Amino acid sequence: MNCRSEVLEVSVEGRQVDEAMLALVHTILLHRSTGKFHYKKEGTYSIGTVGTQDIDCDFIDFSFVRVSSDELDRVIRKAVGEFKDAMGNGTDGMGQISLEFYQKKKSRWPFSDECIPWEVWSIKVNVVNLANEQERQICREKVGEKLGEKVINIVEVINRHEYLPKMPTQSEVDNVFDTSLKDVQPYLYKITFQITDTLGTSVSTTMRRLIKDTLAL
Amino acid sequence: MAAHFDTEYQRLEASYSDSPPGEENLLVHIPDGNKSPWHHIENLDLFFQRVYNLHQKNGFTCMLLGEVFELVQLLFVVGFTVFLANCVDYDILFANKFVNHTDSSKVTLPDAFLPVDVCSARIRDNVAVMFVLVISGVFWLHRLIKFIYNVCCYWEIRSFYTNALKMSMGELPYFTWQEVQARIVEIQKEHQICIHKKELTELDIYHRILRFKNYMVAMVNKSLLPVRFCPPLLGEMVFYTRGLKYNFELIFFWGPGSLFKSEWSLKPEYKRGGNRLELAEKLASRILWIGIANLLLCPVILVWQILYAFFSYTEVIKREPGSLGARCWSLYGRCYLRHFNELDHELMSRLSKGYKASSKYMNCFLSPLLTVVAKNVAFFAGSLLAVLIALTIYDEDVLAVEHVLSSITLLGVCITICRSFIPDKHLVYCPEQLLRVILAHIHYMPDHWQGNAHRYETRDQFSQLFQYKAVFILEELISPVVTPFILIFSLRRKSLEIIDFFRNFTVEVVGVGDTCSFAQMDVRQHGHPAWMSEGKTEASIYQQAEDGKTELSLMHFAITNPQWNPPTETTQFISQLKERVQREATGDVHAHTHTLTSLSESEPRSLIANFLAGPPSLASLHLGRDGSLTNQGPVGISDGASGLRSLSINSMRGSYSSTHRSAGHTSSASRAMVGSSTDARTASSGSSAWEGQLTSLVLSEYASTEMSMHALYIHELHKQQSRGELSRHTWHRQDSDDSGDSVTEEGAAGGRGPDPRHPIPRSHTFPVSTPTSIPSSNSGPPPDRGATPGQEEAPPNSQRRHWGNADSVGSDGRGVRLARVPMGGWAEEGQGGRHPDTVPEEGSDDDMPPNIHKVT
Repeated sequence: MNCRSEVLEVSVEGRQVDEAMLALVHTILLHRSTGKFHYKKEGTYSIGTVGTQDIDCDFIDFSFVRVSSDELDRVIRKAVGEFKDAMGNGTDGMGQISLEFYQKKKSRWPFSDECIPWEVWSIKVNVVNLANEQERQICREKVGEKLGEKVINIVEVINRHEYLPKMPTQSEVDNVFDTSLKDVQPYLYKITFQITDTLGTSVSTTMRRLIKDTLAL
Repeated sequence: MAAHFDTEYQRLEASYSDSPPGEENLLVHIPDGNKSPWHHIENLDLFFQRVYNLHQKNGFTCMLLGEVFELVQLLFVVGFTVFLANCVDYDILFANKFVNHTDSSKVTLPDAFLPVDVCSARIRDNVAVMFVLVISGVFWLHRLIKFIYNVCCYWEIRSFYTNALKMSMGELPYFTWQEVQARIVEIQKEHQICIHKKELTELDIYHRILRFKNYMVAMVNKSLLPVRFCPPLLGEMVFYTRGLKYNFELIFFWGPGSLFKSEWSLKPEYKRGGNRLELAEKLASRILWIGIANLLLCPVILVWQILYAFFSYTEVIKREPGSLGARCWSLYGRCYLRHFNELDHELMSRLSKGYKASSKYMNCFLSPLLTVVAKNVAFFAGSLLAVLIALTIYDEDVLAVEHVLSSITLLGVCITICRSFIPDKHLVYCPEQLLRVILAHIHYMPDHWQGNAHRYETRDQFSQLFQYKAVFILEELISPVVTPFILIFSLRRKSLEIIDFFRNFTVEVVGVGDTCSFAQMDVRQHGHPAWMSEGKTEASIYQQAEDGKTELSLMHFAITNPQWNPPTETTQFISQLKERVQREATGDVHAHTHTLTSLSESEPRSLIANFLAGPPSLASLHLGRDGSLTNQGPVGISDGASGLRSLSINSMRGSYSSTHRSAGHTSSASRAMVGSSTDARTASSGSSAWEGQLTSLVLSEYASTEMSMHALYIHELHKQQSRGELSRHTWHRQDSDDSGDSVTEEGAAGGRGPDPRHPIPRSHTFPVSTPTSIPSSNSGPPPDRGATPGQEEAPPNSQRRHWGNADSVGSDGRGVRLARVPMGGWAEEGQGGRHPDTVPEEGSDDDMPPNIHKVT
C-alpha cells in the first residue's frame, strides 16, 4: 500500500503498441533518472550530465524525448518487445505494462532484502483492429494527440511534491539507484507486464501469506 | 529505429567520461542519506499493529519474558500430564501394594515412580497418548517458530520506539496509547512513514490497525454473519467462537483466494458490480471447500482445542474454582458492543467497567425455585459438615476413618455451590437501573430492552453478550465440530450478500487503502435518522448502521482522540451534540426553559434530567458504597448526580459527594462534572500534547465519563424519538436481509404510523423470530413504504465512492427495486464524473422507473 500508483490508459492499433509503450516508459524514465553520481571524500558528490534525444515515431504522429542512453533504451526495448510478443499480433487484446520504482532495504540475516516499491505506473493498452487505411490515418493522429496528453499527465504527476527516496550515501547508492548503466542512473525500476486481467494471485504468494499469517502474533 | 533521427540535442562527449574536466567547479551535493530506517515502511498495517501490540504488552522485555514462560509452561504441562498418567505406580501410592524395603518401612515418593524403560514402553504402546504427544509437539514447535519470528520482528519495533519515538522500553508501560499515537503523528512529518501524505491522522492509524475488525463489526451490525441460530429445544442462541471467527477471517480477508488482494486492497473484480453472481458462486464454492477442510481436520482441531483449553484453564480452575461460574463478555458481545475504530484496550476497559453492574444484573434473575432447593440442601449439608467438624475438633482420630476427610471436602464444595444460588440478602431488585448503568458503559443495547429489563427474555438476550465462562469454554470445545456445518449450510447461503456488502461498503481512502466505509463514521453516509442524524443523513436503509453505531462511534472516536480534526460536517455534528448534552446537564433541571429555537417542540425535554432524576435514581446502584440510600427521598436528583459521578472512577471526584449530597444542587454537581471534564479536555487539547503523564490519564478517565454521558443521552433521545415510529425496525430487518433493496429514508419523519403487528420496536441486531423477520421471506414491502425521489444527487465526496449496484431480485424473480441509489462500477477511470441518475447497467431493472411503489 505504501506506494503511489498511477494508471495510464491508451488504445492503439496493433503495430503502434511498441512505439506507444516506448514513448510512455521513456517519458517516465526521463524524469526519474539522474546523471551518474561521483562521490568524493567528505561525503559529497557531484552529478554527471545526461543527454536527451528526440525520437520520432514511425506509426504515430508523435515524437518524444528520452534520455540519450543506448543501454537504457536497449533494456526497455527488450521489455516492450517481450510484451508485444506476448500480446500476439494484430488481434484485439488488452494488456498492461507496469513500471515500478522501488528501493531496497537491507534486512538482517534471517530475512532477504526487501524491495519496497514507492511508485507504480500501470499503462493499460487496449489494442483495436482497424478496417481500412483511412481509419488508420485518423488513428495515427488520434493516438499522437492522446500520447501528448499522457505525457503532460506524467509531467504533472512528477511535478507534485511527493515522496522520493532520499539521496543516498555512497554505500547505499545501490539501494536507490540502478547503477549498472554507464551513462545514466535511473531510480531502481522493474518492468512487468500482464496480458488481459488474469484472475487470482499466484499460489506462491498465497502460500507466503498463509505462512506469514500463522506466524504473526 | 529512431537512432538516425538524432536532432540538434547532441550529447557532449566530454560529459561521458568518468571524471569530468574542471571538477572543482562543478556543483557539489551532500547526500542526506537514509539516516533513519523508518521512512517509507512497506506494510504499514502490520507495522502499526505491531507498534500497538508492543505497547499493549508493556514493552519488549515483558513480551519476551511472557512468551518464553508460556513456552516453558506448555512443555511442563504436557510433560507432567504424561508423566502422571504413565509413569506413576498408583498402587504404591494408595498403599494397595507393599514395597519391601530393606532398611526402613517408610514409602518414599521415588518408590512410586516406574522405571524409565517401563515408562517409555507404556507411552509408546499407548496410541492415544502418542497422538496427543505428537499434536502437542507440533503445537509447541509452531509456537516456538512463531516466537522466534516475533522476536525478530518486534526487535525492529523496539528500535522504532527507542530511536524514532524516543520512548525507552522501561517507560513504555506508563505511556498511554494516545501519547504514542501523537508521537507517531509527529514523526511522520520528519520520517515519512507513509509516503502518500505529509501528515498522518489518528484516524489513519486506527483504520490501519483495525481494518478487518471494522469490517467484522459492520457485518455483525448488519446481521450478515450467521451467528444466530434457532436449534430446536434450545431456543434462540448465539454461536460465535474463535474457531468460527478464524474461519470467517480466513474466508474474507487473508486465506487463499480471499476477497482481499493484500492487507490493504480488495480485489478489483469485487469492486465492480458487473459479475456479482459469478463472484458469489465462486465464494460459495470456496466456503464449501473450506467447510469440508474443516470437517476433515475436525479430529485434529478437536484434540488441539481440548489440549488448549486444558492447558489454559486447568490452572485457573485449580486456583479459583469459582471462576467457571463467573461470567465473561462473549465473543459476539465484543463484536456487537464494539464501536467502529475502537482499539482492543479501549473496548476492554469499557466492558470491564460494566462488568460489575452486568453481573449484578444477571444475579437478579436467580430462579426462586432453585433458591428454595439450594437453601435446604445447604442446610442439610451444613449440619452434616458441622457435626463432622465438631467431632474432628473433639478428637482428630475421626479424620483417620475412611472417607471422612473426603466427605468434609465434598460437603464444603456442595455448600459453596448452593450458596451461589442464594441471592444476597441485601440485594435490591432494580434491573432497570442496573441496565442503565450497564448501558452507560457498554453503549449499545437493543431498543426493546428498555422498559423490559425485568423480563426473562431480556436477561436471556443479555446473556448472549455476557455468558458464563464455563459456557464459553464449552462452546470453544464443540466449535470444531459445529463450525464446518455453519460454514457449509449457513454462510454459504449468504455469499451473495457478502459480495454485495464488500462492494457497497468499501471505500478507497488515499494513504490508507480500502477500508470499510462505516469506519469512516460519516453521519451523512451511514447515519441513522432515528439516532440523532435526522436530516443529516442521506443513507438508504441498507446503508444505515444499526443501533446508532455510526453516531456513537463517531462520538467515541472524537472524545478519545481530541486532537483529531474531523471533516467540517462531522465537526458540526459533534459540537452540536456536545453542546446539547452540556446544556442539558448544566441547565436548570426543574425549570423547563426551552426557549432556544434549536430545541424544537418535538425535542425531548431535559433528557439528562430525565435520567438523573427519573424514578429509578441511578444512585441506588451504588448504595453499598455511597450510603446515599438514606436521603433518597427528598434529593433523588442529587443522588442521580452522584450515581452518574460514580460512573467514572469514583475516587476522582470524591470530594463532591459530601458537598453536594445535602441539597438539590444537581445542576452544579452535574455541571461541574460535564463542564470540568470538557474543560480539562479542551484545555489540554489546546496546549501542547506533552504535559506529563497525569494529564493524559486524567483525560482518558474524563473521556470515558463523557462518553457514558453521551451514550446515555443518545439512547434517551432515540427512545423518545422512536416512540412515534415503532415499525421502522421490522422493515429494516427485511430490507437489509434482502441486501440491497434500498429505500430512501428521507421521509422517515413523515407519517409512519405504528405497525400494529409489532408493538415493540425490535432492534435489528436482536431479531426475534417473528414471521417478518425471517430472512428472505420476501413477503414484499409494507404498503406504506415511502419511496421518495430524494436521492437524486450523489453526495459530493472527497474520496472515490464506490456505489454498488444495490438492486436485488426477489426470490420470486421480480425486481423489487424501489428507489435508486447511485450506482456504478468501481472506479472506471476514463469515464470521469458519472451521473448517478444515468440508466443502470443491469438489464433486469432497466424497465423499472426509479420511483416505483411496489405494492403487494
